[in-house]
Amino acid sequence: MGAHISIPMYQRAIPQRYRLVGQKCVKCGKVNFPPKAVCKYCLSSAEFAPVKLSGRGTVYSYTVIAGGGAPPEFAEIARCKGRYPVALVQLEEGPVIIAQLVDVPEEEEIFIGMPVEAVFRKIYEEEGVIRYGIKFRPA
Amino acid sequence: MEGVAIIGAGQTRYGDFPEKGLKELFAEAYFEMLASVDRGFDPQLIQAAYIGCLSAGSGFQLGQLAPLLMGHVGLPHVYAVRVENACASGGYALYNAACAIASGKFNFVLAAGVEKMRDVSSTKGRYWLGISGDTEYERLAGLTFAGIYALMATRYMHEYGLKREHLAMVAVKNHRHAVANPKAQFRQEITLERALSGPPVAYPFTVWDCSPTSDGAAVVLLCNAKLAKSFTDRPVYLAGFGAASDYLAVHDRHTITSLHATRKAAAEAYKQAGIGPGDIDFAEVHDCFTIAEIMAYSDLGFCEEGQAHRLLEEGVTQLGGRRPVNVSGGLKAKGHPIGATGCGMAYEIFRQLRGEAREPSRQIPNARFALSHNVGGSGGTAAVFIYRRGD
Repeated sequence: MGAHISIPMYQRAIPQRYRLVGQKCVKCGKVNFPPKAVCKYCLSSAEFAPVKLSGRGTVYSYTVIAGGGAPPEFAEIARCKGRYPVALVQLEEGPVIIAQLVDVPEEEEIFIGMPVEAVFRKIYEEEGVIRYGIKFRPA
Repeated sequence: MEGVAIIGAGQTRYGDFPEKGLKELFAEAYFEMLASVDRGFDPQLIQAAYIGCLSAGSGFQLGQLAPLLMGHVGLPHVYAVRVENACASGGYALYNAACAIASGKFNFVLAAGVEKMRDVSSTKGRYWLGISGDTEYERLAGLTFAGIYALMATRYMHEYGLKREHLAMVAVKNHRHAVANPKAQFRQEITLERALSGPPVAYPFTVWDCSPTSDGAAVVLLCNAKLAKSFTDRPVYLAGFGAASDYLAVHDRHTITSLHATRKAAAEAYKQAGIGPGDIDFAEVHDCFTIAEIMAYSDLGFCEEGQAHRLLEEGVTQLGGRRPVNVSGGLKAKGHPIGATGCGMAYEIFRQLRGEAREPSRQIPNARFALSHNVGGSGGTAAVFIYRRGD
């Protein structure tokens, strides 16, 4: 099985994956993340200024992936942890981000509206390279 | 715009067929389609074929699947093209075929779909089932499609008071419907308790909330409505058809408890047909996961937003109810050979509207209008069709 997200593909998105860099539309002022060629809010501007997102937000929705439901590249994580939570997080600046939740001792403690903050963590390993990125933990 | 009629349809049984490949599955559905044309049909009249398939690019046949399959059934020189929009590939094949007739360019067009999913290991299956979302972001959070629909279900439960029992009711209903369908993959009932206590996949889903992997093919023959009565006294007319897209990634959407693509496609189809949701006698909707059928009820206009689970409680959508949904068993129990699914829905409706559901126990009586609804991925695409009994 080849790499799902190749190393070059991963590297091109490092500002997003490591530093949560979004783009602020110069016309309507709203923040797009991940980047778009045309602003997804005003649908008319293609000019943006980079903006680093705070990483603070709340859980918009969540699921808990069981071992049998994990993609193959996450099978090892699923094997170690048994299962892992994934959330849609609504950031203070507006964008919604999809990422794993960590440092949640009991999954029953997760709720919609739960305050969370971004942490830099190992995502998974593929092609012999550890892929780092953003996860969220209770704030 | 020219009118569009269906004059023939065929479908393999969905399931696990180690002895059949893409070509054999396609040919089986194709020959059943030919045999279904009441007064016979010379296949050399066929001018074009749109064939839905997702996995063709994934190790079976890298490119040009459509000419391969058409050559296999003795039509090597027609216009032939593969159509891919993930789980809506078959629906988009049907939509493109309908547009090709409506434009006046062609008089006889095949819409088809085929998928061979059981040959792949479960690891590889999960690998490529996850690539029809926004791979760079959704997949890197460790999600497959079950996980993405699970996010929708959790939010829906939060906003509208949906319970896990309502999700399970969809699975129980569709499994019950599939029992009498000779073309269905799982012809066995399940209990609510079993559906709720199955192995977890992605909270709130157990394995019973998820459609299976399936082999199968479906072929539908469309013709210009003016010519239909030369081939049958009982054509089924495509009175309306719509298709629309949305952001591929759920994090880009304004809501995740409704599919905008479905709403837009349905509005287009209803407008063209000149009817509304209240006129639909029965429907085949895209229940890849149980929450998908629940969202479809309101997105197609069968109920108000957030009230879908009431229809389940009241039995409205079960066979014998006011508006049966997925009497075939749906993707959940009839099976979900991805590229074939949208055309397999048309096959079911063609048979039902002609009074040919085979098993009398599952025939919907006196139906005039029906609807089919086919979704790509988590709602990046959707196609909706309205069918009218021709008599």
